Amino acid sequence: MDSALAHGRKDGVALTRSPRAVRPDLEQVFRTSYPRVVAVAARVLGSRDEAEDVAQEVFLTFGRSDVPAGEALPWLSVAAAHTALNHLRTGKRRTGREQAARPEATAVPDVADAVVASEERRRVRAALARLPRKQAIALVLRHSGLSYAEVAAALDLSPGSVGTTVRRAESALRKELNA
Amino acid sequence: MRRHPNDGVLRRLVDDPAGVTDADREHIESCPTCGEGLVDARRDAAFAALTLSAPADPDIDAAWNRLRVTEPNRKAHRVRARLRSPIIAGAAVAVLLAGAGAAAAADWFPIFRTERIAPVTVHQADLMRLPDLSSWGDVEITSRPEIHAVAGLAAAEKESGLDVPGVAELPRGVTGEAQYQAGKRISAQFTFRAAKVAAFARGTGRAAPPMPAGLDGSSFRLTAGPGAAAVWSSNQGVPSLIVARAVAPTAYSTGVPFTTARDYLLSLSGLPADVAGQLRSFTADGTTLPLHVMPEEMTSRPTEVGGAPATLLTSSDGALSAVLWVRDGVVTAVAGSLSADEVLSVARGLR
Repeated sequence: MDSALAHGRKDGVALTRSPRAVRPDLEQVFRTSYPRVVAVAARVLGSRDEAEDVAQEVFLTFGRSDVPAGEALPWLSVAAAHTALNHLRTGKRRTGREQAARPEATAVPDVADAVVASEERRRVRAALARLPRKQAIALVLRHSGLSYAEVAAALDLSPGSVGTTVRRAESALRKELNA
Repeated sequence: MRRHPNDGVLRRLVDDPAGVTDADREHIESCPTCGEGLVDARRDAAFAALTLSAPADPDIDAAWNRLRVTEPNRKAHRVRARLRSPIIAGAAVAVLLAGAGAAAAADWFPIFRTERIAPVTVHQADLMRLPDLSSWGDVEITSRPEIHAVAGLAAAEKESGLDVPGVAELPRGVTGEAQYQAGKRISAQFTFRAAKVAAFARGTGRAAPPMPAGLDGSSFRLTAGPGAAAVWSSNQGVPSLIVARAVAPTAYSTGVPFTTARDYLLSLSGLPADVAGQLRSFTADGTTLPLHVMPEEMTSRPTEVGGAPATLLTSSDGALSAVLWVRDGVVTAVAGSLSADEVLSVARGLR
Protein backbone atom coordinates (compact mmCIF):
# COMPACT_ATOMS: atom_id res chain seq x y z
CA MET A 1 0.00 0.00 0.00
CA ASP A 2 2.74 2.37 0.96
CA SER A 3 4.74 1.83 -2.18
CA ALA A 4 1.59 2.08 -4.25
CA LEU A 5 0.75 5.37 -2.62
CA ALA A 6 4.22 6.73 -3.01
CA HIS A 7 4.03 5.85 -6.63
CA GLY A 8 0.62 7.45 -6.91
CA ARG A 9 1.87 10.74 -5.54
CA LYS A 10 4.67 10.80 -8.05
CA ASP A 11 2.40 9.90 -10.90
CA GLY A 12 -0.33 12.19 -9.60
CA VAL A 13 1.56 15.28 -10.62
CA ALA A 14 1.17 14.20 -14.23
CA LEU A 15 4.74 14.97 -15.08
CA THR A 16 6.43 11.62 -15.34
CA ARG A 17 8.66 11.81 -18.33
CA SER A 18 8.04 8.30 -19.59
CA PRO A 19 4.51 7.72 -20.84
CA ARG A 20 2.72 4.73 -19.40
CA ALA A 21 -0.04 2.96 -21.25
CA VAL A 22 -3.54 3.08 -19.78
CA ARG A 23 -4.03 -0.08 -17.72
CA PRO A 24 -6.35 -2.68 -19.24
CA ASP A 25 -8.41 -3.19 -16.09
CA LEU A 26 -9.29 0.52 -15.81
CA GLU A 27 -12.91 0.17 -16.94
CA GLN A 28 -13.61 -2.72 -14.60
CA VAL A 29 -12.10 -0.93 -11.59
CA PHE A 30 -13.85 2.28 -12.61
CA ARG A 31 -17.29 0.68 -12.77
CA THR A 32 -16.96 -1.05 -9.40
CA SER A 33 -15.25 1.78 -7.49
CA TYR A 34 -16.46 5.05 -9.00
CA PRO A 35 -19.46 5.64 -6.68
CA ARG A 36 -17.32 4.99 -3.59
CA VAL A 37 -14.60 7.34 -4.82
CA VAL A 38 -17.17 10.06 -5.55
CA ALA A 39 -18.58 9.53 -2.05
CA VAL A 40 -15.17 10.11 -0.45
CA ALA A 41 -14.67 13.38 -2.33
CA ALA A 42 -18.27 14.45 -1.65
CA ARG A 43 -17.68 14.12 2.10
CA VAL A 44 -14.97 16.74 1.77
CA LEU A 45 -16.57 18.98 -0.83
CA GLY A 46 -20.26 18.66 -0.02
CA SER A 47 -21.10 18.75 -3.71
CA ARG A 48 -21.59 15.81 -6.04
CA ASP A 49 -20.49 17.69 -9.14
CA GLU A 50 -17.24 18.78 -7.61
CA ALA A 51 -16.73 15.32 -6.17
CA GLU A 52 -17.13 13.85 -9.66
CA ASP A 53 -14.46 16.23 -10.98
CA VAL A 54 -12.11 14.95 -8.29
CA ALA A 55 -12.98 11.32 -8.99
CA GLN A 56 -12.23 11.84 -12.69
CA GLU A 57 -8.86 13.28 -11.86
CA VAL A 58 -8.06 10.42 -9.51
CA PHE A 59 -9.05 7.75 -12.05
CA LEU A 60 -6.94 9.41 -14.72
CA THR A 61 -3.92 9.06 -12.46
CA PHE A 62 -4.89 5.55 -11.48
CA GLY A 63 -5.24 4.59 -15.14
CA ARG A 64 -1.55 5.20 -15.69
CA SER A 65 -0.39 3.68 -12.43
CA ASP A 66 0.61 0.12 -11.63
CA VAL A 67 -1.29 -0.05 -8.34
CA PRO A 68 -2.36 -3.70 -7.92
CA ALA A 69 -6.07 -4.14 -8.67
CA GLY A 70 -6.58 -5.65 -5.21
CA GLU A 71 -5.44 -2.39 -3.59
CA ALA A 72 -7.31 -0.14 -5.97
CA LEU A 73 -10.17 0.94 -3.72
CA PRO A 74 -8.10 2.08 -0.71
CA TRP A 75 -5.61 3.73 -3.07
CA LEU A 76 -8.35 5.56 -4.94
CA SER A 77 -10.04 6.60 -1.69
CA VAL A 78 -6.85 8.10 -0.27
CA ALA A 79 -6.13 9.89 -3.53
CA ALA A 80 -9.70 11.22 -3.65
CA ALA A 81 -9.48 12.54 -0.09
CA HIS A 82 -6.16 14.29 -0.78
CA THR A 83 -7.30 15.70 -4.10
CA ALA A 84 -10.62 16.90 -2.69
CA LEU A 85 -8.87 18.70 0.16
CA ASN A 86 -6.61 20.32 -2.43
CA HIS A 87 -9.71 21.35 -4.36
CA LEU A 88 -11.37 23.09 -1.46
CA ARG A 89 -10.27 26.48 -2.65
CA THR A 90 -11.07 26.26 -6.34
CA GLY A 91 -14.25 24.37 -5.54
CA LYS A 92 -15.72 27.39 -3.82
CA ARG A 93 -16.33 29.31 -6.98
CA ARG A 94 -17.75 26.41 -8.89
CA THR A 95 -20.23 25.65 -6.16
CA GLY A 96 -21.41 29.22 -6.17
CA ARG A 97 -22.01 29.15 -9.88
CA GLU A 98 -23.70 25.78 -9.83
CA GLN A 99 -26.00 26.69 -7.03
CA ALA A 100 -27.08 29.72 -8.98
CA ALA A 101 -27.76 27.67 -12.09
CA ARG A 102 -29.08 24.41 -10.72
CA PRO A 103 -32.83 23.92 -10.91
CA GLU A 104 -33.19 22.01 -7.62
CA ALA A 105 -31.58 24.89 -5.78
CA THR A 106 -34.29 27.25 -6.99
CA ALA A 107 -36.93 24.64 -6.23
CA VAL A 108 -36.11 24.70 -2.54
CA PRO A 109 -39.34 26.07 -1.07
CA ASP A 110 -37.71 28.23 1.53
CA VAL A 111 -34.88 30.42 0.31
CA ALA A 112 -33.71 30.89 3.89
CA ASP A 113 -33.23 27.12 4.20
CA ALA A 114 -31.11 27.10 1.05
CA VAL A 115 -28.98 29.92 2.36
CA VAL A 116 -28.52 28.16 5.68
CA ALA A 117 -27.61 24.88 3.94
CA SER A 118 -25.10 26.59 1.73
CA GLU A 119 -23.58 28.45 4.65
CA GLU A 120 -23.38 25.19 6.57
CA ARG A 121 -21.52 23.50 3.70
CA ARG A 122 -19.12 26.40 3.55
CA ARG A 123 -18.42 26.16 7.26
CA VAL A 124 -17.83 22.40 7.09
CA ARG A 125 -15.41 22.86 4.20
CA ALA A 126 -13.56 25.63 6.01
CA ALA A 127 -13.36 23.49 9.16
CA LEU A 128 -11.99 20.54 7.17
CA ALA A 129 -9.45 22.79 5.48
CA ARG A 130 -8.22 23.95 8.86
CA LEU A 131 -7.68 20.45 10.28
CA PRO A 132 -4.16 19.04 10.08
CA ARG A 133 -4.02 17.10 6.81
CA LYS A 134 -3.50 13.73 8.48
CA GLN A 135 -6.54 14.21 10.72
CA ALA A 136 -8.72 15.35 7.84
CA ILE A 137 -7.75 12.35 5.71
CA ALA A 138 -8.20 9.87 8.55
CA LEU A 139 -11.60 11.35 9.36
CA VAL A 140 -12.87 11.26 5.79
CA LEU A 141 -11.52 7.77 5.07
CA ARG A 142 -12.93 6.22 8.23
CA HIS A 143 -16.33 7.78 7.56
CA SER A 144 -16.08 6.45 4.00
CA GLY A 145 -15.81 2.92 5.32
CA LEU A 146 -12.09 2.20 5.12
CA SER A 147 -10.98 -0.12 7.92
CA TYR A 148 -8.64 1.03 10.68
CA ALA A 149 -5.89 -1.05 9.07
CA GLU A 150 -6.47 0.56 5.67
CA VAL A 151 -6.44 4.07 7.13
CA ALA A 152 -3.27 3.21 9.05
CA ALA A 153 -1.54 1.97 5.88
CA ALA A 154 -2.68 5.00 3.89
CA LEU A 155 -1.32 7.49 6.39
CA ASP A 156 1.69 5.53 7.57
CA LEU A 157 0.25 5.45 11.09
CA SER A 158 0.30 2.59 13.57
CA PRO A 159 -3.15 0.95 13.64
CA GLY A 160 -3.41 1.95 17.31
CA SER A 161 -3.11 5.64 16.59
CA VAL A 162 -5.81 5.79 13.89
CA GLY A 163 -8.53 5.92 16.57
CA THR A 164 -6.74 8.79 18.31
CA THR A 165 -6.31 10.71 15.07
CA VAL A 166 -9.97 10.25 14.06
CA ARG A 167 -11.12 11.14 17.58
CA ARG A 168 -9.14 14.39 17.55
CA ALA A 169 -10.53 15.32 14.15
CA GLU A 170 -14.11 14.66 15.24
CA SER A 171 -13.68 16.60 18.43
CA ALA A 172 -12.16 19.57 16.57
CA LEU A 173 -14.91 19.46 13.95
CA ARG A 174 -17.71 19.50 16.51
CA LYS A 175 -16.12 22.26 18.56
CA GLU A 176 -15.53 24.39 15.51
CA LEU A 177 -18.97 23.94 13.99
CA ASN A 178 -20.90 24.22 17.22
CA ALA A 179 -19.05 27.35 18.23
CA MET B 1 -7.46 -0.61 38.63
CA ARG B 2 -5.44 -0.67 35.44
CA ARG B 3 -4.79 2.59 33.62
CA HIS B 4 -7.46 4.11 31.38
CA PRO B 5 -7.32 3.19 27.70
CA ASN B 6 -6.61 6.25 25.54
CA ASP B 7 -9.12 8.23 23.47
CA GLY B 8 -8.23 6.23 20.38
CA VAL B 9 -9.39 3.00 22.02
CA LEU B 10 -12.65 4.65 23.11
CA ARG B 11 -13.17 5.88 19.57
CA ARG B 12 -12.55 2.45 18.13
CA LEU B 13 -15.10 0.94 20.46
CA VAL B 14 -17.70 3.18 18.77
CA ASP B 15 -17.46 1.59 15.34
CA ASP B 16 -15.03 -1.33 15.51
CA PRO B 17 -15.41 -3.07 18.87
CA ALA B 18 -13.70 -6.18 17.53
CA GLY B 19 -10.51 -4.14 17.32
CA VAL B 20 -10.52 -3.42 21.07
CA THR B 21 -8.98 -5.92 23.48
CA ASP B 22 -11.19 -7.69 26.03
CA ALA B 23 -9.22 -6.14 28.88
CA ASP B 24 -9.81 -2.61 27.56
CA ARG B 25 -13.47 -3.31 26.95
CA GLU B 26 -14.00 -4.65 30.46
CA HIS B 27 -12.23 -1.64 31.91
CA ILE B 28 -14.34 0.81 29.95
CA GLU B 29 -17.57 -0.95 30.95
CA SER B 30 -16.77 -0.64 34.64
CA CYS B 31 -15.02 2.75 34.68
CA PRO B 32 -17.24 5.86 35.01
CA THR B 33 -14.51 8.14 33.58
CA CYS B 34 -14.09 6.00 30.49
CA GLY B 35 -17.86 5.64 30.27
CA GLU B 36 -18.16 9.40 29.93
CA GLY B 37 -15.34 9.46 27.41
CA LEU B 38 -17.16 6.84 25.37
CA VAL B 39 -20.36 8.90 25.38
CA ASP B 40 -18.38 11.93 24.13
CA ALA B 41 -16.69 9.84 21.45
CA ARG B 42 -20.07 8.48 20.28
CA ARG B 43 -21.59 11.95 20.17
CA ASP B 44 -18.67 13.44 18.18
CA ALA B 45 -18.58 10.49 15.78
CA ALA B 46 -22.31 10.81 15.14
CA PHE B 47 -21.95 14.55 14.61
CA ALA B 48 -19.12 14.01 12.12
CA ALA B 49 -21.09 11.34 10.27
CA LEU B 50 -24.02 13.72 9.91
CA THR B 51 -21.83 16.67 8.95
CA LEU B 52 -19.88 14.73 6.34
CA SER B 53 -22.86 13.08 4.72
CA ALA B 54 -23.29 14.14 1.12
CA PRO B 55 -25.43 12.92 -1.74
CA ALA B 56 -23.45 10.85 -4.22
CA ASP B 57 -25.35 8.75 -6.74
CA PRO B 58 -23.32 9.29 -9.88
CA ASP B 59 -24.24 8.10 -13.37
CA ILE B 60 -21.46 5.60 -13.96
CA ASP B 61 -21.92 5.29 -17.73
CA ALA B 62 -21.79 9.06 -18.23
CA ALA B 63 -18.77 9.30 -15.96
CA TRP B 64 -16.95 6.54 -17.82
CA ASN B 65 -17.58 8.24 -21.15
CA ARG B 66 -16.23 11.48 -19.74
CA LEU B 67 -13.06 9.74 -18.56
CA ARG B 68 -12.49 8.17 -21.98
CA VAL B 69 -12.78 11.54 -23.68
CA THR B 70 -10.47 13.27 -21.21
CA GLU B 71 -7.70 10.71 -21.07
CA PRO B 72 -5.77 11.61 -24.25
CA ASN B 73 -5.76 15.35 -23.46
CA ARG B 74 -5.06 15.08 -19.83
CA LYS B 75 -1.38 15.66 -19.24
CA ALA B 76 -0.84 18.78 -21.24
CA HIS B 77 -3.96 20.31 -19.75
CA ARG B 78 -2.98 19.74 -16.14
CA VAL B 79 0.53 21.01 -16.59
CA ARG B 80 -0.68 24.14 -18.30
CA ALA B 81 -3.20 24.74 -15.55
CA ARG B 82 -0.59 24.42 -12.87
CA LEU B 83 2.06 26.48 -14.60
CA ARG B 84 -0.46 29.21 -15.12
CA SER B 85 -1.84 29.30 -11.62
CA PRO B 86 0.83 31.39 -9.83
CA ILE B 87 0.68 33.98 -12.57
CA ILE B 88 -3.09 34.14 -12.41
CA ALA B 89 -3.02 34.31 -8.63
CA GLY B 90 -0.56 37.18 -8.84
CA ALA B 91 -2.68 39.04 -11.32
CA ALA B 92 -5.75 38.40 -9.20
CA VAL B 93 -4.08 40.00 -6.21
CA ALA B 94 -3.09 42.98 -8.28
CA VAL B 95 -6.69 43.30 -9.39
CA LEU B 96 -7.90 42.86 -5.85
CA LEU B 97 -5.55 45.46 -4.51
CA ALA B 98 -5.43 47.97 -7.25
CA GLY B 99 -8.50 47.65 -9.46
CA ALA B 100 -8.16 47.11 -13.15
CA GLY B 101 -8.02 48.55 -16.68
CA ALA B 102 -6.24 50.33 -19.52
CA ALA B 103 -4.81 53.82 -19.27
CA ALA B 104 -6.73 55.14 -22.20
CA ALA B 105 -8.19 58.38 -20.90
CA ALA B 106 -6.13 61.31 -19.73
CA ASP B 107 -7.72 61.42 -16.29
CA TRP B 108 -6.30 58.05 -15.28
CA PHE B 109 -3.43 58.37 -12.87
CA PRO B 110 -0.95 55.55 -12.56
CA ILE B 111 -1.19 54.27 -8.99
CA PHE B 112 0.67 51.02 -9.27
CA ARG B 113 3.47 49.78 -11.47
CA THR B 114 5.28 46.50 -11.00
CA GLU B 115 8.94 46.88 -10.27
CA ARG B 116 9.31 43.74 -8.25
CA ILE B 117 7.39 40.65 -7.18
CA ALA B 118 7.13 39.41 -3.62
CA PRO B 119 5.57 36.14 -2.50
CA VAL B 120 2.83 36.36 0.10
CA THR B 121 1.97 33.20 1.97
CA VAL B 122 -1.76 32.58 2.04
CA HIS B 123 -3.17 29.30 3.27
CA GLN B 124 -5.75 27.50 1.17
CA ALA B 125 -8.36 27.90 3.88
CA ASP B 126 -7.93 31.67 3.84
CA LEU B 127 -7.98 31.89 0.07
CA MET B 128 -11.13 29.82 0.12
CA ARG B 129 -12.85 32.42 2.22
CA LEU B 130 -11.83 35.23 -0.08
CA PRO B 131 -14.88 36.46 -1.99
CA ASP B 132 -14.78 37.39 -5.66
CA LEU B 133 -14.04 40.99 -6.47
CA SER B 134 -17.46 41.14 -8.12
CA SER B 135 -19.00 40.93 -4.64
CA TRP B 136 -17.95 44.53 -4.07
CA GLY B 137 -18.37 46.18 -7.44
CA ASP B 138 -18.45 45.79 -11.20
CA VAL B 139 -15.64 43.97 -12.95
CA GLU B 140 -15.31 44.40 -16.68
CA ILE B 141 -12.58 42.87 -18.78
CA THR B 142 -12.11 45.43 -21.51
CA SER B 143 -9.57 43.55 -23.58
CA ARG B 144 -8.48 39.94 -23.46
CA PRO B 145 -5.01 38.52 -24.05
CA GLU B 146 -6.09 36.08 -26.78
CA ILE B 147 -2.94 34.02 -26.45
CA HIS B 148 -2.23 32.27 -29.76
CA ALA B 149 0.51 30.39 -31.56
CA VAL B 150 2.69 32.39 -33.92
CA ALA B 151 4.99 31.29 -36.71
CA GLY B 152 8.30 31.86 -34.97
CA LEU B 153 10.53 34.04 -32.85
CA ALA B 154 10.34 37.06 -35.15
CA ALA B 155 6.53 37.00 -35.17
CA ALA B 156 6.40 36.62 -31.37
CA GLU B 157 8.69 39.60 -30.90
CA LYS B 158 6.84 41.69 -33.45
CA GLU B 159 3.41 41.05 -31.91
CA SER B 160 4.52 41.64 -28.34
CA GLY B 161 7.05 44.37 -28.97
CA LEU B 162 9.37 42.54 -26.57
CA ASP B 163 12.68 40.75 -26.98
CA VAL B 164 12.10 37.07 -26.38
CA PRO B 165 15.30 35.80 -24.75
CA GLY B 166 17.16 32.82 -26.14
CA VAL B 167 18.08 29.80 -24.03
CA ALA B 168 21.83 29.18 -23.95
CA GLU B 169 21.62 25.53 -23.07
CA LEU B 170 18.51 23.38 -22.80
CA PRO B 171 18.23 21.27 -19.63
CA ARG B 172 18.56 17.54 -19.98
CA GLY B 173 15.32 16.00 -21.20
CA VAL B 174 14.19 19.15 -23.04
CA THR B 175 14.69 18.73 -26.75
CA GLY B 176 13.50 19.97 -30.11
CA GLU B 177 12.52 23.38 -31.39
CA ALA B 178 10.51 25.86 -29.38
CA GLN B 179 6.99 26.81 -30.40
CA TYR B 180 6.20 30.48 -29.97
CA GLN B 181 3.09 32.14 -28.60
CA ALA B 182 2.04 35.73 -28.26
CA GLY B 183 -0.71 37.46 -26.31
CA LYS B 184 -2.19 40.92 -26.38
CA ARG B 185 -2.54 43.30 -23.51
CA ILE B 186 -5.22 42.38 -20.99
CA SER B 187 -7.08 45.21 -19.40
CA ALA B 188 -9.87 45.22 -16.92
CA GLN B 189 -11.78 47.75 -14.93
CA PHE B 190 -13.20 47.56 -11.44
CA THR B 191 -15.77 50.01 -10.09
CA PHE B 192 -16.62 50.09 -6.38
CA ARG B 193 -20.36 49.83 -5.69
CA ALA B 194 -21.47 50.67 -2.16
CA ALA B 195 -24.77 48.85 -2.77
CA LYS B 196 -22.96 45.61 -3.65
CA VAL B 197 -20.69 45.91 -0.62
CA ALA B 198 -23.75 46.37 1.59
CA ALA B 199 -25.56 43.40 0.00
CA PHE B 200 -22.48 41.24 0.42
CA ALA B 201 -22.18 42.25 4.07
CA ARG B 202 -25.84 41.39 4.67
CA GLY B 203 -25.20 37.96 3.14
CA THR B 204 -22.31 37.26 5.48
CA GLY B 205 -24.05 38.66 8.53
CA ARG B 206 -21.20 41.06 9.22
CA ALA B 207 -21.43 44.82 9.04
CA ALA B 208 -19.35 46.27 6.21
CA PRO B 209 -16.72 48.75 7.32
CA PRO B 210 -17.73 52.31 6.39
CA MET B 211 -16.71 53.16 2.83
CA PRO B 212 -14.21 56.02 2.58
CA ALA B 213 -15.57 59.17 0.95
CA GLY B 214 -15.37 59.20 -2.82
CA LEU B 215 -14.85 55.46 -3.20
CA ASP B 216 -18.40 54.55 -4.27
CA GLY B 217 -18.47 54.58 -8.08
CA SER B 218 -14.73 55.17 -8.40
CA SER B 219 -12.95 53.02 -10.94
CA PHE B 220 -9.61 51.33 -11.14
CA ARG B 221 -7.91 49.88 -14.16
CA LEU B 222 -5.30 47.21 -14.48
CA THR B 223 -3.31 46.36 -17.55
CA ALA B 224 -0.80 43.60 -18.14
CA GLY B 225 0.87 42.44 -21.31
CA PRO B 226 1.38 42.16 -24.18
CA GLY B 227 3.59 39.13 -23.85
CA ALA B 228 5.28 36.30 -25.68
CA ALA B 229 6.53 32.85 -24.81
CA ALA B 230 8.77 30.12 -26.15
CA VAL B 231 7.41 26.68 -25.28
CA TRP B 232 9.24 23.39 -25.52
CA SER B 233 6.94 20.39 -25.56
CA SER B 234 8.02 16.95 -24.51
CA ASN B 235 7.19 13.94 -26.63
CA GLN B 236 3.94 13.58 -24.64
CA GLY B 237 2.74 17.02 -25.60
CA VAL B 238 3.61 18.36 -22.14
CA PRO B 239 5.41 21.70 -22.03
CA SER B 240 8.70 20.77 -20.44
CA LEU B 241 10.06 24.32 -20.51
CA ILE B 242 8.46 27.73 -20.94
CA VAL B 243 10.30 31.02 -21.21
CA ALA B 244 7.79 33.84 -21.08
CA ARG B 245 8.02 37.58 -20.96
CA ALA B 246 5.29 40.19 -20.59
CA VAL B 247 4.79 43.81 -19.74
CA ALA B 248 4.21 43.72 -15.98
CA PRO B 249 0.87 44.74 -14.42
CA THR B 250 0.15 48.42 -13.93
CA ALA B 251 -2.88 49.97 -12.24
CA TYR B 252 -4.56 53.31 -12.67
CA SER B 253 -7.17 55.26 -10.76
CA THR B 254 -9.39 58.21 -11.49
CA GLY B 255 -8.14 59.95 -8.38
CA VAL B 256 -8.70 57.76 -5.36
CA PRO B 257 -5.31 57.05 -3.80
CA PHE B 258 -4.07 53.50 -4.08
CA THR B 259 -3.71 53.11 -0.32
CA THR B 260 -7.34 54.09 0.29
CA ALA B 261 -8.67 51.48 -2.12
CA ARG B 262 -6.22 48.85 -0.94
CA ASP B 263 -6.94 49.29 2.76
CA TYR B 264 -10.68 49.23 2.18
CA LEU B 265 -10.45 46.05 0.10
CA LEU B 266 -8.29 44.43 2.75
CA SER B 267 -10.78 45.36 5.47
CA LEU B 268 -13.59 43.76 3.42
CA SER B 269 -11.67 40.67 2.45
CA GLY B 270 -11.81 38.87 5.78
CA LEU B 271 -8.17 37.86 5.31
CA PRO B 272 -6.35 37.15 8.57
CA ALA B 273 -4.53 40.13 10.06
CA ASP B 274 -1.08 38.71 9.31
CA VAL B 275 -1.86 38.20 5.61
CA ALA B 276 -3.45 41.64 5.34
CA GLY B 277 -0.40 43.07 7.09
CA GLN B 278 1.94 41.37 4.63
CA LEU B 279 -0.06 42.67 1.69
CA ARG B 280 -0.17 46.16 3.15
CA SER B 281 3.56 46.37 3.75
CA PHE B 282 4.52 44.77 0.45
CA THR B 283 2.36 47.12 -1.53
CA ALA B 284 3.19 50.22 0.52
CA ASP B 285 5.31 51.69 -2.26
CA GLY B 286 2.90 50.83 -5.09
CA THR B 287 5.60 48.97 -6.98
CA THR B 288 5.63 45.46 -5.51
CA LEU B 289 3.27 42.89 -6.99
CA PRO B 290 2.30 40.30 -4.36
CA LEU B 291 2.27 36.74 -5.60
CA HIS B 292 0.01 34.31 -3.72
CA VAL B 293 1.91 31.29 -2.57
CA MET B 294 -0.17 28.53 -1.02
CA PRO B 295 2.17 26.65 1.30
CA GLU B 296 0.10 23.50 0.73
CA GLU B 297 1.07 23.48 -2.93
CA MET B 298 4.17 25.52 -3.37
CA THR B 299 7.22 26.85 -1.63
CA SER B 300 8.92 30.08 -2.56
CA ARG B 301 12.33 31.51 -1.86
CA PRO B 302 14.07 34.67 -2.92
CA THR B 303 16.92 34.44 -5.38
CA GLU B 304 18.42 36.64 -8.07
CA VAL B 305 18.72 36.49 -11.81
CA GLY B 306 21.30 38.69 -13.50
CA GLY B 307 21.33 41.07 -10.54
CA ALA B 308 17.53 41.44 -10.32
CA PRO B 309 15.72 40.10 -7.25
CA ALA B 310 13.72 37.05 -8.29
CA THR B 311 11.22 34.62 -6.76
CA LEU B 312 11.75 30.91 -7.12
CA LEU B 313 8.65 28.71 -6.79
CA THR B 314 8.74 24.95 -6.43
CA SER B 315 5.67 22.73 -6.24
CA SER B 316 5.48 20.68 -3.04
CA ASP B 317 6.05 17.48 -4.97
CA GLY B 318 9.14 18.98 -6.54
CA ALA B 319 7.91 18.30 -10.06
CA LEU B 320 7.37 21.88 -11.20
CA SER B 321 9.58 24.91 -10.74
CA ALA B 322 9.34 28.50 -11.87
CA VAL B 323 11.40 31.62 -11.40
CA LEU B 324 10.05 35.14 -12.01
CA TRP B 325 11.69 38.52 -11.98
CA VAL B 326 10.94 42.05 -13.12
CA ARG B 327 13.25 44.42 -14.91
CA ASP B 328 12.28 47.77 -16.43
CA GLY B 329 8.58 47.02 -16.08
CA VAL B 330 8.85 43.68 -17.88
CA VAL B 331 8.28 40.39 -16.06
CA THR B 332 10.15 37.31 -17.23
CA ALA B 333 9.36 33.78 -16.13
CA VAL B 334 11.12 30.49 -16.71
CA ALA B 335 9.04 27.48 -15.71
CA GLY B 336 8.79 23.81 -16.45
CA SER B 337 8.68 20.25 -15.28
CA LEU B 338 12.21 20.80 -14.05
CA SER B 339 14.10 21.09 -10.80
CA ALA B 340 14.71 24.46 -9.13
CA ASP B 341 18.37 24.30 -10.17
CA GLU B 342 17.43 23.63 -13.77
CA VAL B 343 15.06 26.60 -14.10
CA LEU B 344 17.58 28.87 -12.39
CA SER B 345 20.32 27.68 -14.69
CA VAL B 346 18.12 28.41 -17.74
CA ALA B 347 17.11 31.82 -16.32
CA ARG B 348 20.67 32.88 -15.62
CA GLY B 349 21.85 31.71 -19.02
CA LEU B 350 19.21 33.63 -21.05
CA ARG B 351 20.66 35.68 -23.87
